[in-house]
Amino acid sequence: MSTTLTEKSVEPGTGRSLLRGMPWLVVRQHRVALACVLGLTLLTALWIVYERHELVQLLDAKGWPENDASRSMDNNRGYDYITGIINGFPLILAVFIGAPLIAGDQENGTAQLVTTQSASRLQWLIAKLGLAYSLALVSGVVLSALFTWWWKPHRSLFLSDWIDGVIFDNTGPVLPALLLFLTAAGITIGTLVRRVLPAMVITFLFTAVTTLFVWDEIRVRLGSPKMFTYPLDSELPAARFDDAYEADRWVGSADGTLYGWGTCAEATEKAQNACIKEHGIVNNVIEYIGYNQMAGMQWLGAGILLAGTALLTAVTLWQVSRRPL
Amino acid sequence: MADTTTPNATSGSWALEARGLGKRYRRGWALRDCSFRIPAGRICGLVGPNGAGKSTLLGLATRQVQPTTGELRVFGVPVDDPAVMPTFAFLGQDKPLFKRFTVADTLRMGAELNPGWDAAAATRIVRSGNVPLHAKIGTLSGGQRTRVAFALAFGKRPDLLLLDEPMSDLDPLARDEMSTLLMAEAVERGTTVVMSSHMLTELEDMCDYLLVVSEGRIRMAGDADALVPAHTLVTGVSRDGSLPPELDHHTVVETRLQGRQFQAMIRPRGPLPAGWESAEPSLEEVLLAHLRSPDAPSLYTQGARVEAEGNQAA
Repeated sequence: MSTTLTEKSVEPGTGRSLLRGMPWLVVRQHRVALACVLGLTLLTALWIVYERHELVQLLDAKGWPENDASRSMDNNRGYDYITGIINGFPLILAVFIGAPLIAGDQENGTAQLVTTQSASRLQWLIAKLGLAYSLALVSGVVLSALFTWWWKPHRSLFLSDWIDGVIFDNTGPVLPALLLFLTAAGITIGTLVRRVLPAMVITFLFTAVTTLFVWDEIRVRLGSPKMFTYPLDSELPAARFDDAYEADRWVGSADGTLYGWGTCAEATEKAQNACIKEHGIVNNVIEYIGYNQMAGMQWLGAGILLAGTALLTAVTLWQVSRRPL
Repeated sequence: MADTTTPNATSGSWALEARGLGKRYRRGWALRDCSFRIPAGRICGLVGPNGAGKSTLLGLATRQVQPTTGELRVFGVPVDDPAVMPTFAFLGQDKPLFKRFTVADTLRMGAELNPGWDAAAATRIVRSGNVPLHAKIGTLSGGQRTRVAFALAFGKRPDLLLLDEPMSDLDPLARDEMSTLLMAEAVERGTTVVMSSHMLTELEDMCDYLLVVSEGRIRMAGDADALVPAHTLVTGVSRDGSLPPELDHHTVVETRLQGRQFQAMIRPRGPLPAGWESAEPSLEEVLLAHLRSPDAPSLYTQGARVEAEGNQAA
């Protein structure tokens, strides 16, 4: 495309572009990354639309929900690939967009070039952060909306539970918030490290640890578990807890004392009965988080992530404004 | 001391004015107690050994670095006021540009980020070096890249151009070409230029004002034409292998004993003894003497000095 540039394109004001000033510069500088992320978002979005269409056709043919269609989502390769791509988005945005965003300019000296023109350092930073955050937000909102639209009406057919990361993190407000948070983390790490490659490696590790371990721990703590008690010799009313996430399972005595589920798991039935009698155990107790808590948990989680994003943004702004670039 | 043309005390006629300027990094002071003035319209050489504080000084003037103490004014405006940004242009040591941008993109960036952009001048500078507008910056030679960086700097129409060793990585041909371009553009528009350099010959040819920095302090400031004649290189016979006491009547910059002879770079403060041979040193000799002797008293020509309180010294 550069070969088609005419001399006129050098003159300001004659360009047909909608973008001017600093936004033009950051879009021009990051246009390849921008196109890649938006392209991947679009492809994934179209794929979700296609898979949902296929599923609806299949269910119509089976006469769902009147007839059983419980195995419709089994061995669904499309679902595996799509969730794989969506789960990769935090990594892509944090490592390839966030980490080099400021660090790249610091390493190449172009931060100095841009901030010694007539625009202030803050204007530059706002344009940079605006670009990265918009990208995270657009990808997150589009993919989350479509994935929710695919999953929610058919959730009983999906093999993953709503509390699983693959559903919880990819629907509702969580995905955009998660993308924003990890992008901000990448930018902050880049600003502190000031070199692209180390920043990318550290951001990769940070993202992996956060999404694989830390967030898993936080997710189940977002809800407030409820207890359900039923007699030892009866069955759990399973239909009621179809959608619930079982956090823990106990046995309890008549006075409400709880014992671990395996307290009386003895080798012989005789020993087991003796144990039950000894502790006065009469009830089974399950601790669960109902599906009705999901929306609240998602907004709480998104709120935490957005607060983290705000904090990281403040650190970046503070760092860049007080240290030489 | 030679009488020189320096502007009156009205602050707008000073391109740079520093009062008690200092910058401390974690490892210590990079620049300390700097008070000086550079009149508008001059080509000022910033001289000093590596690590003397030249880059810190340029960083302070371009808002890249924030001072620890003191203040710096650019054409009378405090440097922390964003209003100074359009008045200066800066060319860093490695002349950073976006490598994936074309030359045309780079000039467009100048247009987008600078309100007073002079597209005609920028394009002319690029064209006169036969740099193709559609070429990517990454594919250009060092000389061509410097030319584009110059075009970006001059396109901003700055009143003050700050250059950090602009010619250091160029071959002699490109260096000559860039020096000619720099002088032509600066003279045509009356741009004040402050350039740091290691090349003493480059300074001698181009600069009419000098700021000599060493160990974070100003050693000399003033007109090149006045600084050099203020010094005399004297040679005489030493007494018993030590320096003659008559030297104490003058400001001694550097001395050297060679057998029965001594040689000294002094600033005379009265008539010299008849037995001494005196010669006018070259700019290079004066600079080297000052750089070798960081403890020698510093020298300011008229107008170059600013008292910390803001009064002009006599």
